[in-house]
Amino acid sequence: MRFHLIDRIETLTPRETITARKVTSVDETYWQATPNGPVLPFGLALEALCQAATWLIMISTDHRLRAALLAVGEATAHRDVAPGEVLSMHATIESMTGEAAILDGTVTAGGERVLEATGILCALIDAERLDDPDHTRRMAHQLQGGGPVG
Amino acid sequence: MSTTRTATGAVAGAFDRIVELEPGRRAVAVRNIPHTLPCFDHHFPRFPVLPGVLLLESMAALAKAAAGGERAWRLASVRGVRFKHFVGPGDQVHLTAEVTGGNRHTTEVRATARVGDRVVATARALALALADEPWEGTA
Repeated sequence: MRFHLIDRIETLTPRETITARKVTSVDETYWQATPNGPVLPFGLALEALCQAATWLIMISTDHRLRAALLAVGEATAHRDVAPGEVLSMHATIESMTGEAAILDGTVTAGGERVLEATGILCALIDAERLDDPDHTRRMAHQLQGGGPVG
Repeated sequence: MSTTRTATGAVAGAFDRIVELEPGRRAVAVRNIPHTLPCFDHHFPRFPVLPGVLLLESMAALAKAAAGGERAWRLASVRGVRFKHFVGPGDQVHLTAEVTGGNRHTTEVRATARVGDRVVATARALALALADEPWEGTA
């Protein structure tokens, strides 16, 4: 699967908060079999929140810095997520320097909390080491409703 | 051997082989990280790194095996998770899960991931709940 767990960025205030959205589909490959049917793995709900956080960092720094996950203080799941649900990730920067950021956040679906996490510690590393900044700029443009870019 | 599989046997990641299992006490497993994993196409194009959450999913799968019992467990919460070093293509990750507490309804597990002699990730507490029981606050 493509490891892009953000479909749209809905609201963003640089260096403060982001709300992003992901639609889930039974056609995706990550579903975990449980006695209650296929569910979104805990780690991927957490990853969706962390990816929202890294878009917030990248856009806040004009794609100079990217977040790499160092630690999670605490994360708690509140219910299962089934195929077809729409996830909304909301992340808030609690503190940020040129080298690291700490964020808190929640994932909701259908208006209900499905996961919350506190103390998400990220190292902020040179984005060019990981990906082509022009590519991430184009993608950010698309995620923010900018449509296709040449 | 793997105790957890996705519906399609895909990415959510467990482990390749259990090397020790004492149900209710501890489990040790190995997970290989080949360059063919689809996540490396995008994470990241210039520097392939296994996403930390997939290592966390491996720890959770092994924690469920260590918890043992007849019924399935789900991961309810995690505390004190630390990713200390990047894990990338070619690495062989040795995972250890040790039961630290619990009762008939919950189990708490501590987990460590090593590559060679280096600790690459730790989880101070993985809290498991029985998968077929109501979620706390939802009964």
